[in-house]
Amino acid sequence: MTKRTDYEIELDRIDRAISELEQDASTLPIDAEKATKLVYLHYQHASLRGDLAELARVETALNAAIREIGPAGDLYFLKANLDFKLHRLTAVRQDLETGRDLKNSAQGRSLQADLDFQDGKFQEARSGYETLIAEEPTWDNLARLAYLKFKLGDFAGAERCYIEAENELTAKQMRHYAWVELQRGVLHLRSGAYEKAWNRYRIADLAYSGYWVVSEYTAELLGAMGKFDQAIELYRKIIVHVGRPEFQQALGELYHCLGQPEQAEAWYEKALSAYLESAQRGEVHYYHHLADFYSDVRQDGVQAVKWARSDIALRRNFSTLAALAWALYLAGEFSEALNTIDEALSSGVADAQLFFQAGTIYQAANGNGKGSEYLRMAAEINPHYHDFHTHR
Amino acid sequence: MADHNDPNAVNSIFSDIDVSAADLYDLFGFPSRDTEKGEHVVIALTFASVPSAGVLDPDMLYRIRMVAEPRVVPPAAGDHSLQALLRYFEALKDKYLGPLKTSEIRVNVDSSNNATIRFINFPGSTFVKTLKTNEEVVIDAPNGSAIKAYIGGRDDAFFNDLTGFFRSINYAPQFYHVPHTMTEARELKIPKTLLELEGNDLFNYDPKFPEWGYHGVKKDLPSGPLTWTGNAFRKDANGNYRFVYSGIDCQAGKNVNAIILEIPLKFITTAPNENRIVNTWGESWVLKAANKVETIPDHPFWLEHPLALTDAFRLDDELKRYKLVDTDGQPFADAALSEREDSRQMGANNFWLAPHFIKRLAHLGWGFGPSISALGLETSFDHDNSPVSVHKTYALVTEAFPRVRKTLFQKLNMADSTWNPKGIDIPLRRPLEIFVPNVCAIDMDTTGTWPFGRRLEDQVATRFLSMFLDMEAEFKGKKYHIELLNDQSLWDHAPIEPKTPPNPLKNDKDFLQDFPYLAEPWQR
Repeated sequence: MTKRTDYEIELDRIDRAISELEQDASTLPIDAEKATKLVYLHYQHASLRGDLAELARVETALNAAIREIGPAGDLYFLKANLDFKLHRLTAVRQDLETGRDLKNSAQGRSLQADLDFQDGKFQEARSGYETLIAEEPTWDNLARLAYLKFKLGDFAGAERCYIEAENELTAKQMRHYAWVELQRGVLHLRSGAYEKAWNRYRIADLAYSGYWVVSEYTAELLGAMGKFDQAIELYRKIIVHVGRPEFQQALGELYHCLGQPEQAEAWYEKALSAYLESAQRGEVHYYHHLADFYSDVRQDGVQAVKWARSDIALRRNFSTLAALAWALYLAGEFSEALNTIDEALSSGVADAQLFFQAGTIYQAANGNGKGSEYLRMAAEINPHYHDFHTHR
Repeated sequence: MADHNDPNAVNSIFSDIDVSAADLYDLFGFPSRDTEKGEHVVIALTFASVPSAGVLDPDMLYRIRMVAEPRVVPPAAGDHSLQALLRYFEALKDKYLGPLKTSEIRVNVDSSNNATIRFINFPGSTFVKTLKTNEEVVIDAPNGSAIKAYIGGRDDAFFNDLTGFFRSINYAPQFYHVPHTMTEARELKIPKTLLELEGNDLFNYDPKFPEWGYHGVKKDLPSGPLTWTGNAFRKDANGNYRFVYSGIDCQAGKNVNAIILEIPLKFITTAPNENRIVNTWGESWVLKAANKVETIPDHPFWLEHPLALTDAFRLDDELKRYKLVDTDGQPFADAALSEREDSRQMGANNFWLAPHFIKRLAHLGWGFGPSISALGLETSFDHDNSPVSVHKTYALVTEAFPRVRKTLFQKLNMADSTWNPKGIDIPLRRPLEIFVPNVCAIDMDTTGTWPFGRRLEDQVATRFLSMFLDMEAEFKGKKYHIELLNDQSLWDHAPIEPKTPPNPLKNDKDFLQDFPYLAEPWQR
């Protein structure tokens, strides 16, 4: 008999907990604690499986629980997290205001700092994280601060924070530990140190076996290493269980790298259909992917600009600005592309992909030599920045 | 889907593990009555029965630390100043954190529930044994000492009205579904009290809902203000107060996991005739995630060759692999005096908490002192004859100290002389000596009854409350003592309902006369 993976064991544990609670939670009068716990378990289940359809059902259940129980802080904290995951930042702000005593709780303040980060207010975000860590050095806030440092180019500082985060994690939190290991791997990946990234990803897999997230990071790394066959094989396995369009797009890009355009196109079409269907349902969380897809896959600047503008209307930060600038560049709107990439650069973010895009835009729009400088800066961070990467 | 950081913290709000094996419950310690082969000390550390009674969590490491020494000389008699008290704490700190070296016992289990027990830094003996759980065993130490050990499931030896205690401190999570995000809604800003407060609907006994607060039965947190605005204790039609306690044993029928040891005193100290106090405390440590990875796949070597372990490992390095979660020395040192904050789970090294201890004691005193006075008893706490409990906190220890001076310095009278069977000159203990440091200080010349240790049959929850009684006052011609509130005759004549001692007087299962002393676990 095959040994069950940690992922399977956890899913089973959540399933059992849901079964035990489901009968109790539905009896009247509603037991607020059980009902809250049940909706959290459903959220954990959906998150763990990466199932967006299930997440949508969780949202329905969550809203029903809020109607029954009222604006409990725990429920609105979950709602805020769900809205955050789906890029609905205005809703997150409302959630923080509505949830009873949520805004000033430690959890609420973490979310506020995340919002600041998304809004490009890095100093406020850093201050928020650091204050929370000074009060209690929780692993998740240390990981948040690490990510901010990583984005600002402080790889060593990010690594230190991730190590501190790991130091707070116990044997009872192996999935979280695996996740932090993946982030440490990403630091190496984004600096072009593939072997080191590989080692971190292996540890993540040892720590929490059978997790598709680890497989997905590994597949990206295999692609970056030029092992397209292996990457494709892994992505195909992931997609069987987690059929998300961004993975389908990645698979298409890998087939493209392998020189199999027909296979690539088939996956591109699936991804695009799913992205567009999501947008048609009024969802906003794939706007960023649509902008990237039209830029990088279709090289259709006009469509890319359309989706990038939609995304930037929700959240104006270095990431959405860079996506718009790149789309404008592809659309031949060099002047606006230049202004937009300048705004992205002014955020202080130091990222090889951003510098590559800035360099390319500058070279097209302005012959002052800055383009070469940005390309040099990109290569300095990651000499392999041209290699395969996913749109995460 | 998300191009932002997502540490999945939301998944942590309802913990993956509801009850942690790291949750230490109690530390018992007393001299064994069997002295045929020399003096022995019994130490029992109990903790949550997770994953189940008799099955221990292999990710945990339990430590029982101990050091034997002569009786500590308390501050000079008559000098009851704050300065003298802080000097005393400072001297203790230097002693505990300085050259003093503790011996310790470490226990963990493997995935087959076999235990490894390591005796470290005992005089002339550091050694390792593997043993089966849930069995009494005798361990032969290299110096010829025979140590009795039991590691496994037992009945929970603690017996108290936990709900009553939580009602007395207005601890909302015992009675309400308090959202995890509402960290301020724990001890509500309502006076602590032994008697119900008039109009304190948030916590007063609800006759229509008698199970409320027991067995996990809770209400939804009301949306209104979580405060109290009254100015009197509640009285019924007969003029009786309502006790916040019921005397119900909330631990009845519950199991624990336990490490129980009976150790020759000569194994702990080379000078057993001089070092009459065995200070002991327990700690729980959980394996860090990074070190869990190192153990995948399981490496059986050190379990098969445990003696090699002590040579191969530097033990301090071992502890770096774990994270300290909980400590236990004195009952109520954490629950009552440290506001149940994890960051204050400092164990024996709680010297830095001494000023906090004084302020917290004053805060409790403003609640319990007026309650005691209302019952017609004398209190050690100076509450300016307040007719009702008061919610008061202190920022400055200098303001708090005058209120609790007597509480801190008064000697806690014992009920009779049975605690001192040898009849030798042993000073009565005082609260300041009991709680800092947070250790169980077992006096080998006594029976080990609290506060000279802690025996299984001690009703420590009620004895804790007796600190707030004025030990110079008399009841029925006898000085107040630590068992007074356990005396049914006191309650029979008190203007209160129900007429019961606050906590049960005995455990739900009889303790055993011999090792391992704690009763067999309940069968499920």
